[in-house]
Amino acid sequence: MLKELHQFKQQYDECGAILCFSGYLSQELMVGIGETLRDKLKQEEDINMVLKIFSIFVEQVQNIIRYSADQIIITNDKENILGSGILVVGKNQGHYYVSCGNIVGNDKISHLSEQLTKLQQMNKDELKQYYKEQRKKEVPQHSKGAGLGFIELARKTNSCFDFSFEKINGQISFFSFKTLL
Amino acid sequence: MTHLNITATSQSPAVYFDETLRTLNITGECYPENITKFSSPIFQWLDEYLTSLQKQTFTLNIELVYFNSSSSKMLLDLFDRLQEEVINKQKNIIVNWIYDVENESAFEHGEEFKEDLTHLIFNLLKKS
Repeated sequence: MLKELHQFKQQYDECGAILCFSGYLSQELMVGIGETLRDKLKQEEDINMVLKIFSIFVEQVQNIIRYSADQIIITNDKENILGSGILVVGKNQGHYYVSCGNIVGNDKISHLSEQLTKLQQMNKDELKQYYKEQRKKEVPQHSKGAGLGFIELARKTNSCFDFSFEKINGQISFFSFKTLL
Repeated sequence: MTHLNITATSQSPAVYFDETLRTLNITGECYPENITKFSSPIFQWLDEYLTSLQKQTFTLNIELVYFNSSSSKMLLDLFDRLQEEVINKQKNIIVNWIYDVENESAFEHGEEFKEDLTHLIFNLLKKS
């Protein structure tokens, strides 16, 4: 593992990674990483670009925390949710990207895939309309979010995102999602 | 009226009610882990306050640098609640959406809310 660390670092550097993380993510950790990311981006970009990348980062990381199939819920004084996944934020050939991956149950794939393909095919106005319609709907009682995250991501990136599912076994797959700015 | 004073954190805004000005101020950033947990005391307070509100004008000043998609849903629910009060009970309510001129997405978000809230006075105000 000692030698590999340097190789890992070199691989990430070649992809223009600004930061990467693999393991259990929590809201608190996301806030910390997010602040560092903003500080770093502020050196080179204006407020609009910084907030755009930050908002994409938040939606993607909150998806990992909420929806990773490898999740631990700790209930002490307050509930703390840990979701396992991988996150890379970087800049390659002049474009920023946020890549995230986590494990999902195979039963979730068809719905998710359908939803994301639909978003990829929508234009700017259709996305805006769809976002507004979904925002008006009641949130299901036990839902952890408003179900708007992917629509927001599609809007922020002008539908410039890609995704894939790699089957691990009969129950689970690895879901990869990459947004490009 | 019971007061409302929630301190800001890095992921949730300050919420403060100024009783003399009858103004509720929401300022900061909003992307908490659980938006319902954050917002339910605000909605509870608002329900109570609106019951006591007569002909006086109630103002909501809202100034958010950034908020996530779940918070956007919460904000629409909040504005809808106020709009209902205007439509059904003819209450005098003003929402001021305050944005920094440099922050394009804050302005755009405000515009999109305004488009859907035709019965609510919803001002887009540049931060001075």
